[in-house]
Amino acid sequence: MKCKTAETWILRSLDGRLDERSRGLLAEHLKGCASCRKADAEYRSMMTLLREEREDAPLPRFWERLEPRLREEQKIVPLILWERWALHAIPVFAALVVLAAGLFIFTPQAREMSQSEALLIENANPFSETRSLFEGKRPEDKSMRLIFASLDEKPSVGRQSP
Amino acid sequence: MDEKQLVRLAQDGSQAAFEELVAKYQSKVFSMAMNFIRNREAADDAAQEVFLKAYLALPKFHLKSEFGTWLYRIAINHIKDVLRKRGRAKEVSLDDVRELSVADENAMEKAEAERETEARRGLVQGFVQGLPEKYRVILTLRDIQGLAYDEISRVLHLSPGTVDSRLHRARRMLRNKLGPCLSQEGGSHEM
Repeated sequence: MKCKTAETWILRSLDGRLDERSRGLLAEHLKGCASCRKADAEYRSMMTLLREEREDAPLPRFWERLEPRLREEQKIVPLILWERWALHAIPVFAALVVLAAGLFIFTPQAREMSQSEALLIENANPFSETRSLFEGKRPEDKSMRLIFASLDEKPSVGRQSP
Repeated sequence: MDEKQLVRLAQDGSQAAFEELVAKYQSKVFSMAMNFIRNREAADDAAQEVFLKAYLALPKFHLKSEFGTWLYRIAINHIKDVLRKRGRAKEVSLDDVRELSVADENAMEKAEAERETEARRGLVQGFVQGLPEKYRVILTLRDIQGLAYDEISRVLHLSPGTVDSRLHRARRMLRNKLGPCLSQEGGSHEM
């Protein structure tokens, strides 16, 4: 057996995790190997020292000191939960406000309809006023028509060539 | 009353049941804190905080593991936090460990000369503290606290193989540091 394997087996044996056969082989090796015997002895005394560290008692009246803290904590927890919720809610609320503002700004607004568009929607003739002028029976409308007609018939007055 | 019943009662709001659980585990949690923090008042305070955290987290504990395992997990995480805050959770590399062992030879010679158990204990504590955190935790849980391999595996969320290899490495490192002191001790050979 190699000394490296022996050391691994020594370490396992410290926890009682070595089978019968392996224990026998290790014992054989230790008989003939002084350095592994030394390692075995050192590991065992190291374990003894470590185990001396075990089980320390806490300071007196452990529960008496703990109990009021538990009661206090029970009162605080709902407040802490509320604070945490509020802390998370603030950025969420801010994000919602920004989103709403964005929607308001970037959504195309319905522009005001022109009079003729409104008339078209109402299925009314947008030229009714003009037509009434032409079809007008009022004397002033008729005279207006005559003025325009005379203007059309008038020959263009150009500068006479010499 | 068995532990599961106590846990259920505590979950239903029974302070008496929780008190029983505290009585059962207070020394274990305290000594674990003490092994890492090395100050009685601070370790006691850490133990109180651990039980406080456990009490508040009790509604989320679904009894999928042992109460002790769950509590140890809380304790380990809390102690790590405490050490981190105190700036003592600094990882020490293997090279640092070797340097330390040379530097501490004088201290070991002193301990040899005095041959007092307390001095040796102090030395062991000092060397355990000098181990990198991941080795220190495993060594403390197994060799000082006496937790079983599978329990350590559950507490630290590590495979049994990793627990095994880390523990062996931790013991080798500690033996290298303690070597001269240990050879004076001898030790019985029982296998």
